[in-house]
Amino acid sequence: MTTRRESSDKVPETTNKKLPRRDFFKKSGTAVASAAILAGSLSACNFQAKNKSKTKKRLAMVIDLRKCYGCHSCSIACKSEFNVPLGVWRSWVKTIDKGKYPKVKRSFLPRLCNHCENPPCVSVCPTQASHRDDEKGLVDIHEERCIGCKMCIVACPYDARFSHPTKKVANKCDFCIHRVEKGVVPSCVNTCPSNARIFGDLNDPDSEVRKLVDTNKVQVLKPELDTEPSVFYIDLDEDAVGGHITT
Amino acid sequence: MFRLNRRNFIKVAASCGSILAGMGELSRVNALTGTLKLEEGGRDFSPDSGKERQAIPSACWQCVARDTILSYVEDGRLVKIEGNPASIRNRGKICAKGQAGINQVYDPDRVLYPMLRVGKRGEGKWKRISWDEALDLLVNGGDISGHSVKGLRNLLDEDHPEKFMFHYGRMIGSDSKIIKDNFLPAFGTNTIGNHTTICEGGKWVAQELIWGKHYDVNDVEHTNMILNFGCNFFETHTSHIQIAQRAINAMTERGVKLYTFDVRLSNTAAKSTEWIPIKPGSDLAVALAMCNVIMINELYDHDFIETWTTVTVEQLKEHLKRYTPEWAEQLSGVSASMIKSLAIEFANANPGTCISYRGPVAHYNGVEAERAFKMLDAICGYIDVKGGTCHGVEAKWKYPKVEPDKKPKQLNIIDGFPGDAAFPNHHVSHQVLKMIKDGRFGRPDIYMVYCYQPVYVNGECEENIQILKDEALVPFLVTVSPFYGETESLADLILPDVTYLERSSWDDMVCYDMIPEFYLRQPAVKPLGEARQFQDVAIELAKRLGLNLPFNSTEDFIKKSCEKSHVDYEYLKKHGVWHDPDEKPHYLSYTKTLTIEDYTGNNILFDSKTGVYWNWEKSKAGSIEEAVSKGYSDTENAYKGYIGQRIGDKVYAGFKPDKVNKSGKFEIYSELLKKKGFNPMPTWFPVPDIENKKDDELILSTFKVNVHTQSRTANNKWLSEINHDNSALINPITAGKRGIKNGDKIKIKSAVGEIIMKTRVTEGVVPDLIAISFHLGHWQYGRFASGRKSPFGADSDNDLKLKWWSEHGVNPNWLIRNRPDRIAGQWLMNDEIVTITKV
Repeated sequence: MTTRRESSDKVPETTNKKLPRRDFFKKSGTAVASAAILAGSLSACNFQAKNKSKTKKRLAMVIDLRKCYGCHSCSIACKSEFNVPLGVWRSWVKTIDKGKYPKVKRSFLPRLCNHCENPPCVSVCPTQASHRDDEKGLVDIHEERCIGCKMCIVACPYDARFSHPTKKVANKCDFCIHRVEKGVVPSCVNTCPSNARIFGDLNDPDSEVRKLVDTNKVQVLKPELDTEPSVFYIDLDEDAVGGHITT
Repeated sequence: MFRLNRRNFIKVAASCGSILAGMGELSRVNALTGTLKLEEGGRDFSPDSGKERQAIPSACWQCVARDTILSYVEDGRLVKIEGNPASIRNRGKICAKGQAGINQVYDPDRVLYPMLRVGKRGEGKWKRISWDEALDLLVNGGDISGHSVKGLRNLLDEDHPEKFMFHYGRMIGSDSKIIKDNFLPAFGTNTIGNHTTICEGGKWVAQELIWGKHYDVNDVEHTNMILNFGCNFFETHTSHIQIAQRAINAMTERGVKLYTFDVRLSNTAAKSTEWIPIKPGSDLAVALAMCNVIMINELYDHDFIETWTTVTVEQLKEHLKRYTPEWAEQLSGVSASMIKSLAIEFANANPGTCISYRGPVAHYNGVEAERAFKMLDAICGYIDVKGGTCHGVEAKWKYPKVEPDKKPKQLNIIDGFPGDAAFPNHHVSHQVLKMIKDGRFGRPDIYMVYCYQPVYVNGECEENIQILKDEALVPFLVTVSPFYGETESLADLILPDVTYLERSSWDDMVCYDMIPEFYLRQPAVKPLGEARQFQDVAIELAKRLGLNLPFNSTEDFIKKSCEKSHVDYEYLKKHGVWHDPDEKPHYLSYTKTLTIEDYTGNNILFDSKTGVYWNWEKSKAGSIEEAVSKGYSDTENAYKGYIGQRIGDKVYAGFKPDKVNKSGKFEIYSELLKKKGFNPMPTWFPVPDIENKKDDELILSTFKVNVHTQSRTANNKWLSEINHDNSALINPITAGKRGIKNGDKIKIKSAVGEIIMKTRVTEGVVPDLIAISFHLGHWQYGRFASGRKSPFGADSDNDLKLKWWSEHGVNPNWLIRNRPDRIAGQWLMNDEIVTITKV
């Protein structure tokens, strides 16, 4: 279950992407052992057990759907930040209509990589390109290690991954880690007109995300899969939780 | 007045904290090493190299909202756009469209060089020429493919400068002042067209009749309840981000309720506390009934009505009593109980605000509906108060203005046919081509189109094409555009303009904090190819024609404007925005009292009929005697000399008139309308086309989605990737009656055209109506918009190979007649009647 790469592993020089000196790829055993998280309230104690190390981060996003009006500002922020080619998205918004005239409801579901604590994409990766980086606190991809086998794309239950059309490697949201490292929020958070996206370190008890998760009835997508997403929704439409998630 | 002193600078600097902080220590430390502290914005980095991208403060221009932005440049290329966090208007936020502006600059189908037609008009054959050749042709005339055309100098020699028509779609801020207040008057033409009546001209005229100048600002941030009639502000609005972000905050943080009346479940309706479906053209009835409920229940603001309006409480009660909720239910389909309860809730909200837009306004009774919405606000006392409906506050730039030797002349083709519109305050743009065809009122020899797609954005597309194709009707068609649109494809000469991201201008859009914000648009990158900002081209044209302008470049104009307005040019360049930190929100500006010095003087008259003090010399009266005998109301342009309104023993700033000789009162009763034969009080009248609709016919309604503007974004690949195809939305009951299933192709037919498109059977639209979005269905505008490469298209964009859609949607304008409403000349785009058949 556990994959590990020694800190002495060399980073290929062909990439421009900065990599940390020490990378741990670890699938959390505690997470697997923990009870399945049901759609609904995630109490603070659910997480306390896993917050063993205070030095490790768990980057997380809370999306307050009461504020989201489906404007796609996040979709384009992401598209431009990474010059994402046509046909694929790292961040997008799903719209769901239901009900009968005149009682019709529409809900919006912004989507991105869930940066799971138990990421199925990581466990299937044959080259450890896809990894959970516990120092940074997210699921990331070493592009130079990716052989483009697409196993992770199939394994992701959230359709969050795609094969980059020109780089021919797996690609997805990385929480704009290149901005976060420099002290700036991810691009989609920056642009959200209603401040519906709140980003931070879930392992920091004083962070806004931590407080929101502790004090609100938050939900995750497909909780029955025990993937333990790091993207939490406030006021998620239950049909969207249980329903088939597509782009 | 707005001079920047040291004290102010520190305050402003503090408000720009995130930008300034970006230069400091934070940029060098890995934020992940300690407790994670993140800035909201102001800096961006390359995901590949980690290098900080250069941030250039500027202003958006994808739509009229013109939010402030930061353009991020990496290795000389514009790569990212964010909101400018220093702005008090959009507060560091920007919509999807604004961020996709990058696609405008790097559209592979852009026009980058002056192009001269060489084949037949519309044939698509072009020759690249130099700017010198292009301007020589424009100034001196010449031969275009065997067809001889006059130049600007010929028109001056013939003393017919008015035969140069300049027709713009979007031209605001300094871009407009350089052209409309300088170049065109210096040349001598006032044949200047715009496009306001295909947007919201009716809304502005209604406001000019009732309280003065637009824009109206719904102070949603501080309100306690929002009534929304047919406005989709969560997707599109003249101040989209400003109103949307403030409304959603009010709703989620203070529990403010939003009720939306609409024929369609827009995202705004969906996000509302409740979507209230309403029959098309009946919003006026609901508003009148609500006013009646408020009056009957004694929930009105007695003092405001009696002091500031042109009616008494008793008159209002008497006028409104016929408009019962039960009567309105019959017309609108909105239940009487809902009308009653919302009216009472609104009057008790204190304050509430009533939003409206093109949904109700683009109907035959749209001006009356807008007057009724403003009456609803007024009787509750919600006018110009915090949390109510306020007069927009914008930066008042001062700028250089030419004093022309002669009074500019005008062809009478911009205000519609005689009798079309009683108050064409914003012209009647959709009639211009019809009037050119008609010919009785003259035709321009040179028709220059700027940032405007008349063929595509008006109704009756087929007729528009035929008129512009005809060299006898339009001898010389010049378009100024960065793109090869439908109109460019019919042009004789295309002058490549820059996009807004290569442009310099100052701007002044209203601020929802009710404090004027001065801001600048500056180039993120140098113009591509030989594109030139048209304002500089006009300055060169003036030089070639021997016309004197009080500035010698766009930059010079901006600098001089800054000097005159006491705004620090260098500060603006660095920060993009500036507002006076000592300024307080401009609420209740109408209650400001004037001193006796303000309203006394040799040229100032008191009009006892209206109570208005006015300076007759600013009107068109030839003498003081003429001004006295005609009085304020009947003297042409008397409103320009308006000073104040006497009420009791005081003189107030009042509701300052604009474009019509309204008094300084809030004119619920309008003497101006009465004189033109209309009802002076907001009064119900039905929409004839809807009233007479047969059972098998449907009403056509058009709408905007959140990722497109009306005609200028389909070429933006990131936006069209999200929305590139449209369907006709139809209610299941209406579809079922006709045997139409979801996805079926149907033919939609009107009096002037027919289109074929897919249906989407949806619960989110009222019965007996068909709704079609209007941004798509381009047949030019490049590959991302239409699939068609422009004659000048390059293969420079890798995404061309990855474009995965081949459908480009349908434009409903082929179906809609170009008809004006009788008061404002507003295009009756929501009154079209169609039939549908399954294909």
